Amino acid sequence: MSSENIEIDEFHEGKREEIAKQVDPFFKGGPIWKRPFFGVFIIWSFMTLVGVLIGLFVPVHVLNGSSSSQQDSVKLTIVVFTVIAAPVSAVVYGIAAYSLFKWNKRGSGKSDTPPEDGLALRGHGPATVIWLSISVVLVVILLFWGMMVLSSEQTQQGDAIRLQVVGQQWVWTFQYGSTKITSTQLVLPVDRQVVFEVSSKDVTHGFWPVQLGVQVDANPGFSTTIAASPNKLGKFDVRCSQLCGLEHAYMQTTGRVVTEKQFEHWLAQKGASPKTIKTFTTDAK
Amino acid sequence: MTSTEVYLENTVLGPKAGGLYRHQNFGTGLISGIVFGFIGWLIGQELLQGSNWGSDMTVTVTCVGWVIGFLFGMGAFNAVGRWILGRDEDHEDQLYGAGVGQGWKRYFKFCTDHKVVGIQYLVLVMTLFGAGGAMAMMIRTQLLSPHMNWLSPQSYNALVSIHGMVMIIATIIMVSGPFANFIMPIMIGAKDMAFPRLNALSFWVVVAAVPPILGSFFVGGVDSGWTTYAPLSVQSFPGQDMFAITICTFVVSVTVAGINTLVTVITMRAKGMTMGRLPIFVWGSIIAGGLGLYAMPAFLMAQSALITDRVVGTSMYAPAQGGAGWLYENCFWVMGHPEVYVILLPAAGALVEIASTFARKPVFSYKAMVGAMMAIAGLGIMVWAHHMFTTGWAPTLANPFMLTTELISIPTGVLFLCMVGTIWRGNIWARLPMYFLYLFLWNFIIGGVTGIYLSDVPADQYFHGNMFVTAHFHFTLLGGAMVGAAGAVCYWFPKVSGRMLNERVGKWAFWIIAIGIQVTYYGQFLEGFQGMPRRVVNYNPLFQPANIMSSVGAYTLMTGWLILLYAIVHSWRNGVKAGPNPWHAKSLEWQTETPVPLENFLVDPVVIRDPYGYGEEATDTSQLTPEPVGAGSVSLGNEEGVL
Amino acid sequence: MSTTEISEAGQHEGGGHHESPRERHKKEHMALWLFIGGDAVFFALEIFFWFYLRTLNVNGMWLGNACSKLNPCTDGLGNPITAPISEANGLYTMGVAALIIVSAIFIWQAEIQARSGAHRKATTPLLGLALVFCLVAIGLQIYQFQVLPFTTIDGAYASLFEFFMGSNLAHFLLVLVIAVGLFNRSRIGKLEHSNWYQAHLGRLWSVWVAASATVLALIATFLA
Repeated sequence: MSSENIEIDEFHEGKREEIAKQVDPFFKGGPIWKRPFFGVFIIWSFMTLVGVLIGLFVPVHVLNGSSSSQQDSVKLTIVVFTVIAAPVSAVVYGIAAYSLFKWNKRGSGKSDTPPEDGLALRGHGPATVIWLSISVVLVVILLFWGMMVLSSEQTQQGDAIRLQVVGQQWVWTFQYGSTKITSTQLVLPVDRQVVFEVSSKDVTHGFWPVQLGVQVDANPGFSTTIAASPNKLGKFDVRCSQLCGLEHAYMQTTGRVVTEKQFEHWLAQKGASPKTIKTFTTDAK
Repeated sequence: MTSTEVYLENTVLGPKAGGLYRHQNFGTGLISGIVFGFIGWLIGQELLQGSNWGSDMTVTVTCVGWVIGFLFGMGAFNAVGRWILGRDEDHEDQLYGAGVGQGWKRYFKFCTDHKVVGIQYLVLVMTLFGAGGAMAMMIRTQLLSPHMNWLSPQSYNALVSIHGMVMIIATIIMVSGPFANFIMPIMIGAKDMAFPRLNALSFWVVVAAVPPILGSFFVGGVDSGWTTYAPLSVQSFPGQDMFAITICTFVVSVTVAGINTLVTVITMRAKGMTMGRLPIFVWGSIIAGGLGLYAMPAFLMAQSALITDRVVGTSMYAPAQGGAGWLYENCFWVMGHPEVYVILLPAAGALVEIASTFARKPVFSYKAMVGAMMAIAGLGIMVWAHHMFTTGWAPTLANPFMLTTELISIPTGVLFLCMVGTIWRGNIWARLPMYFLYLFLWNFIIGGVTGIYLSDVPADQYFHGNMFVTAHFHFTLLGGAMVGAAGAVCYWFPKVSGRMLNERVGKWAFWIIAIGIQVTYYGQFLEGFQGMPRRVVNYNPLFQPANIMSSVGAYTLMTGWLILLYAIVHSWRNGVKAGPNPWHAKSLEWQTETPVPLENFLVDPVVIRDPYGYGEEATDTSQLTPEPVGAGSVSLGNEEGVL
Repeated sequence: MSTTEISEAGQHEGGGHHESPRERHKKEHMALWLFIGGDAVFFALEIFFWFYLRTLNVNGMWLGNACSKLNPCTDGLGNPITAPISEANGLYTMGVAALIIVSAIFIWQAEIQARSGAHRKATTPLLGLALVFCLVAIGLQIYQFQVLPFTTIDGAYASLFEFFMGSNLAHFLLVLVIAVGLFNRSRIGKLEHSNWYQAHLGRLWSVWVAASATVLALIATFLA
């Protein structure tokens, strides 16, 4: 364990060796269970275990269902990030907790005189370098994860159906592309990418089909786009995620993912001719 | 000279010392503000109403009148008038300005003594937290039941918006106001701030800024959140104008305070106090001050354009006439993100002082700590659009902003390294300030990690605008920065008040706060995972259990803060008298008397070393000790430069 | 240094205890540059606003071109806009900029005089002229509001143009206060000796205002 990596202030140049001996976290003297590093490791392991268990079981239980590949992706991201976060956080918690257990003098909380000074450790080169390196590696991993998911989401497939979504205080209206059918109901065919073109007539709203795992703001004067790939039949919630005035809380509706046949049937019921339905559902833009 | 004459505050001043200031105080400020506000109302109503600009003009001009009138009545413009007239202050006027001979009354006047300004800020901060906290309790009460009708949507939206902004104002000033003012100049060995009158101005400007935002409730409130996105905010009730005036006024205070802090630290350090010997708290304060100087003009731009859009019909933000809501959002977040680091850095700096003092160890890797704070500030300027990932504004910029945002976790990680590195192998003195450091470590990890989730663009498409975001920023701002502020209050309490804080009561408060934070905001994380949006007056019954959990937590948290407040107030009046250095700490503020003399030090301090000599020299030595004293001997500081 | 030594070292100006004029100057100088830095952020954002809205030309309403009698747009208050607007007369815009530049130059001249030890008889008239030109600049800027071929409701260009004018007025007002103060202090002899630095600070601010106002004027006139 090199003593050159330790920073000592100018008064204690001569004591460098002495301090170096005390700094070593691996603390080669004594049995393994008495070394500080081991104590930290025990706490770290325990907290990592708890964190990983939380990460594996809690989010999937409380996230309110998934109806699209994007939301599946979100779920996976949450689980992975939590599992990665557990050991990372546990390092900080472990060091802090161990320090408290090991180096807190009993009764010091009620004492008016401080304990003796601790170790004059002003820095430790290897520790800092390792800490920084691990941070950088983690950031790179997280970044790549995010970029890969994002790029796969943003690719718009040729056979996607295009819906126009209009937000207006305080109602969502959906126009089903070239069929010109307009409705306040959102019905989508399963296993088919849908591209939402979102806009607003008044203020900024947030178009959030919750279980589809995507959202984009509805801005007045501009059209924004988001794509989703529903992969499960059933209902999903559409909520407004951007405060838009008095009845923002009530600006919601329930969407449905149905089979392709049911979707065409629904469009027909709304008054679309078979020809426009066919054009709409096969139109590759 | 006799010993009483050494103390400048005992000077007996002539009957004319201070000039106009003799007759000006908070009362005259209030009266003048009301009078000028009324004149503003008349101008708005009679002169300008006819041009079809409506009540927005009246409300705005009234608020402007209030601000100018209040400051005029406080005497804030006296110095400007004197300068123009060439009638400069003499030495007696300056002493009067610093509060000499006025006793408790100086706390209600335009007093230039930085220690008075610090205490004024402390009281203001506690008042603002009380107001914002009361609003929070109303919000959490409303959310106990999914279809509660206790608050109407308008009241609820107003409460949410104004709670947010009041808390932001409070958190920006909660550490820099009391402690960068009271403690920091003493810490660097200065006699006062560089610009004592500007210091007083920065305080009274915040006081002037508060009534408009609180008064906005009376004219319909604000219904667009604390972020007041356009174009909704362009169309809102007149309460929005009052909010905007509050912001434009408050911006002046933060700018002035930031300049004052920077100039003070750069030019007024005591002899021997090199930048490398500065306590970390001072670094945190100046970095935050500089960051605020960058961010606040952006806030001014965003809100002044909002005012003109509302009052005179410009269309910066209205798409029908060529404006864009995204312009507001960008401008706002250019301010909004650096601003959270303005909130965090002074608190983190204070906690590092606490870590060192209560682990009896030097700060781990001082240079890395300073570098980390600078990196956080620098990167903080480059991340703003992570608040706009779902706006559809610039999808191609999603990746770059995701990159810069995730990069911030690196210097933040170094911050943690330095904090736990300081504790590691220390001898922990488990007094109350140390408790808050540990709570910060726990909370800020959770806040920071959940921030990483939000920085991931695909995940943010689920989380944006839902309660997960709310839980994240409460963990970082309340669980992190505000806990740091509480630690700072407990740490510097003996120096500021002259008494020891009752730690038995304080520790009760601490545990209730700690548990309250967890319950409240885990509940909100749960709400977010379940898909509950933010800022909703009623919600889907599915979210009720999580909401009940969060509201119960909130009541607990409130109780904890109130107990802490009780401890502070009670100890201030009746606590055990404190000596000058109850923590046996080494930085300069602990090397002067308590109560602190008017000019802080009776003899100009000469600094020999940094304030982290634990383990390198004996107890009760400091930055002023000329020689390292052999281990085992205790010096009570009779050396040169120490009292 | 004892208290008596310090107090004899120079006049006490403004706040602060026992500091020399040189120390005072250094602090005020630094503070002013920091303040200008903050104002520069505001200035940069004004320019950003201009180019952002000009590039986006939302709904074709930068110059109000999308409106016509056949397709009348309405402003936020329900009033119809029926015709595209014309640009402001650049003479007024550049005239205002020229006037404030002249004012700043006079302050600069006064600073040079004061620094080289000139008597108040030299500095006072210069500052008086600076004051007058600043007043005229303010007057002309206010007058320009009257002669604009549009109002604030006529689209984004019009909005930002008038916003720039308002920003000018706020900045010029600060120059005015400084010019009045410097003029009066020079008149009673308080600009002499080490006090020249007050003119220096005044010069820095007024030159910044003149420069930034000129940039805004050029953008508003030639990049409409």
